[in-house]
Parts: sequence; structure tokens; C-alpha cells
Amino acid sequence: MKTITIKSTFAIVLSALLLTACSGQNVKESTTGSTTGDSNNSTVTNTTNNGGATSGTLGADGNSNVTTSEQEGNDFTYLPGANNDPNNTQDISLAGLSDPNNLLSQRVIYFDYDKAAIRPEYMVLINTHAKLLSKYPSLKMRLEGHADERGSREYNVALSEARSQSVKNIMVAQGPSSTQMRTIGYGEEIPIVRGHNTKSWQKNRRVEIKYDDY
Amino acid sequence: MTNTFIYKFLLSILLFISSASAMAELELRISKTSDDGIPIYLANIPGGANGIIEADLKRSGRFTVIPRNKINEIPTYGKTLNAGAYSSIADYIVRGKPLSGGLEVELTSTSDNAKTIYKISSNNNTRRIAHQAADKIYEKITREKGAFDTRLAYVTVTNKTSDNRMFRLYVSDSDGHSPKAILSSRLPVMSPAWSPDANQLAYVSFEENSSAIYVQNIFTGKKRKISARDGINGAPAWSPDGKRLAMSLSVNGSPDIYTANISNGQITRVTTSSAIDTEPTWSGTNSLVFTSNRGGSPQLYRIAASGGSAQRLTFDGKYNSAADIANKKLAFVRGNRGAFNIAIKSLNGSGADILSNGQLDESPTLSPNGAMVAYTTLKNGDNTLAVVSDNAEARQFLTSPVGDVREPAWSPYLNQ
Repeated sequence: MKTITIKSTFAIVLSALLLTACSGQNVKESTTGSTTGDSNNSTVTNTTNNGGATSGTLGADGNSNVTTSEQEGNDFTYLPGANNDPNNTQDISLAGLSDPNNLLSQRVIYFDYDKAAIRPEYMVLINTHAKLLSKYPSLKMRLEGHADERGSREYNVALSEARSQSVKNIMVAQGPSSTQMRTIGYGEEIPIVRGHNTKSWQKNRRVEIKYDDY
Repeated sequence: MTNTFIYKFLLSILLFISSASAMAELELRISKTSDDGIPIYLANIPGGANGIIEADLKRSGRFTVIPRNKINEIPTYGKTLNAGAYSSIADYIVRGKPLSGGLEVELTSTSDNAKTIYKISSNNNTRRIAHQAADKIYEKITREKGAFDTRLAYVTVTNKTSDNRMFRLYVSDSDGHSPKAILSSRLPVMSPAWSPDANQLAYVSFEENSSAIYVQNIFTGKKRKISARDGINGAPAWSPDGKRLAMSLSVNGSPDIYTANISNGQITRVTTSSAIDTEPTWSGTNSLVFTSNRGGSPQLYRIAASGGSAQRLTFDGKYNSAADIANKKLAFVRGNRGAFNIAIKSLNGSGADILSNGQLDESPTLSPNGAMVAYTTLKNGDNTLAVVSDNAEARQFLTSPVGDVREPAWSPYLNQ
């Protein structure tokens, strides 16, 4: 339990750093945050154009390093808080769930092989969903964890449940009630893509955020 | 009128297709047999039982079946056989005939002309008669009980990446014949495990949108929920006395090993680590072998069923998991350099032999005599079953014509 607390604190600090970094004007190429507390070497790249709109990429590739060319996730041009004010939650709305320009429309978090640790590039996404839960206490979500096909099936059930628990732990730190989230581990039983290569495996190692009524 | 007719016609085709796929026979393909096993010759038995017996003996990896044309005219069963005349061709000769719905089989040693005659009684499943004859021959020659007249349980999946995916739990003969679906569900079904009397299967089903462990009678279809606690209800394994199910539950946090009393459902906690503990299998009545990543990667550990400290069993390879134990042998998954293969070792010995050569092999299950291992492998992109002898001399594949077939569970010896 201790490690989880430390990890989520670390994650919150990191996401705050990201928000600060992204709010700066004319950040030319990239802001790179690298995890030091984890065994993988994830890096996250955020680019900001002159107009001040922030964009980022959610990577879902076999490599831990995420660059624009390798991305599998969609671009998003939204970060929580209008005018980059993290305390402003006007865009954190149920309508945002179905707005492709809103980060809330993104519901998949990808993982490293045999790991349940959250990659830093997903902190903003997870925190944004957590804020939505805080804002609507009757809202409920399922966090459905999945694993790739490698390794044994019941171990993968446990691994995929640990992944959904990791997401839940970070969300709870943002304020919603833990009863708003249900976790489930499907293991390798419901792959999203066929194929037996690193690219397919990455797409299948995921947690899907599913809102009960949306 | 015409429309109704067409509709009914299409519907009947649809029903035919769906029932056909539900009963789909696995296609059996022998990829490798032993050429330095015990040479045995089987004379033709009216009705064809010799073909089934031959296939059984072959897949044990302990026999080399001599081609029929190597002996021109063997006296038919009932006539005098001078077995010594064939000692340069085979060590044993099998002859037989159908007998009141069953089978009479004669095994003759060519070294001393000694004969043993077995009478197998009739059975609704006629293939089982031949399997029982194969078991008798196997036991007489190897002095180890035969396990051909047993069953496999396995899971099939069709349309696995679409919303139409369908999971089915099947029971078949040990060679894949006579399959019967005992459960179908749109949500995952996994981890079948046999009761020691071979009448029931425990399994995990997500049919209620979360995992639960059920126990189902394979003949009556009657099923009972044993555990549907919060979190994981997984990896059931029946105790040798049939009274308890070991399982992995995460109701108290991280997944731990528990045992559940089958009659009253009460659980007893076995492990208490904060890591993943899963895939228990019984090693005798009072001990369990399970998978844990408490040391940083998945490895096998042994613990008393009453709890206490766990002892690590595997040290070679970055990934060792999913143990199955029968007749003092332990089969498991070993991951090394990106490939996952089936390994076997003596329960108390050191070292292990790798039995498979695929990239992603999993779910090993031992025949009750420990002589063969069924497992899941990839063929042409789909999961398929393979059976390998413990000496890796013989291997066969059981392929489904549609979709995946996986997670074999080899039954104990059958009582009926």
C-alpha cells in the first residue's frame, strides 16, 4: 500500500508539472518528463503551437518512448480547465464525453508489458476523468483492464485487474468517491485486435474507461 | 408468401450453421511420432478398433506402430499365432474381434509367445471401448496405468475481436472426438478444472459482467456458483479429496490464494502477499503450488494448504507459471527470451525439459498418468490444442475448423 501512495503522489506532482509546462507560450519543441521511479523509461512529449492551444499525444506503441510518429492514440487539443486554469472545470462536463475535441472523449489507457504502473503521459487523461466523477457524484464508471496474450491466462487476469486498480487509485486521489468506480480484469480474453506482434500486443494492453450511462 | 418462405429458409440455414459449429469436431493431425519406441504390430480388427488403439499408442511417445504391410498374412484372431516368427519386426502383436458390443483383444509377446487376453464391455461411446483396450495394452507393456480413456475439457472462442464473440466450454474424449458443449456465453469463460471423480467441472465465467467461479455437472448440466466476491474470482483447482477448491481471490486487496469448502462455500486464506498470487494447483492433499510475482517476476512457489511461508520452486527463466501436477510430475509455462513454452520436471527433482517449440504456448495440463501434456499453441494465428508425450517423442494438434480452441484440462481417470 505504501508504494501506491508514493506512486500516486509522484503522479500528481508530475501531472502538475505537465500542466505548468504546457501553459507556457512558445514552447518550441518539447517538454520531456521522464519517470525515474519506475523501471521503464517512459517519456512524454507535448508540443505547444503559437496560438496557445495545447496538444499532446497518447501513445500506444510497443516502445516506451512515445513520439508523434509512433502514436496510436488520438491527438487531443484540450487540457482540463478553460484558459489553462486547472481550477476551472467548466469544460469538465457530461457533454464533453461525446465531444471529440474534449479529452473526456478519450477512454483508453495503455500499459507496458507485465506492468500495471501508469505511464506519465496518461496522468492528465486520468485526472480529467476523475474530475468529472468528482463533479457528478452520481456518475459511475467501470475500469476494464486487459492484458496481451503473452504469459498465462489467470496471471493475465490478475495483471489486468491490477492495471484497472492503478487507474482507480489515481482517480480516487482526485476526490471522487471510490464507490463511483468498479474495476474488472478481463485478462487476455477480450483482445481489441488480432495479431501476434508488438504492435497488436500494445493495443491489447489497456484499461478501458466505461461510463455506466454514457 | 415468398418472403416468408425465404425468411424461413434462411433461418433454417442459420440454425443449421450455428448448431454445426457448436458440435464442430476438432481436426486431429499427428505431426510427430516416435521411431524408436517399443515396436508393436496391430492386426486388423473388424470394426476398426485397431486404428483408434494405434493412434493412442502413438501419441504416448512410447511405441512405434509397425505398418500393416510389414507382415503379409497374420493368422486371424482365434487361429494359432507363432509370434516368434515376427520377433525381428515387432516386440508385440495385437489381434482382436468385436464381442457382444464390446471387444476382445489379445496381446502377444514375440519374445516368449506369452498371450494376455482382455475383454472390454460395451459402451454407448464405441470409441471408448478401443481406448480402454489401448489402456490395457499400454499398462501391460509399460507397467504404468494407461490414460487414453479419459476426457478433455477446453474453451473455444469464435469472432474473438468482434461484439459477436462467443465462448464455449466443451468436453470431449481425450483424443478430441465426441465433443459436447456444456456452456456458451458472450462473455469470457475460462480455466476449466476437473473434479477428482471426473463428473464435474469448475470454471470461471464472466457471464454476469464480473468474474465468478462455478461448478457444473457435465452430465446433468446443473451448475452452482461457488464464489462471486468483489474483484477476481479465478483459477479454480479441485483438491484430491474433492472437498475443496483452491482459487485466487482479490476480495481483500491483491490477488491471493484461498481454499473454499465446496459444500458450504466458506473460504480460508492461504497466502497474504501484496503481490499477484494465482494459478494454484494441488500437490497432494495438503500442499499447493502457485504462481506469484512477489519476487519481481512470475515464478512458481509451494505452500502448505493451511498457509505459512512459501518456498520458491523455479529459478531459471524470467517467467514460470501455470503449474499442473500429476503422477509426481509438474508441467508449467516457461517464458524465456520472448518465447513461452511448456516445460516439465519431476516434482521433487531439479532441472526441467522443454516440451514445446511454439512462440506463445500456454495452459499445460497433464494426463492423469503424467505421460502426456495437452497445451495451447498458435497455429496460423489461432489458438489450437496440442498434445505432447512427456519425452517429447510424439506430438499431435487438435485444431478447430472455426476460431480459437484453448485451455485444455485433462480429466482424471474415469469411473464410468
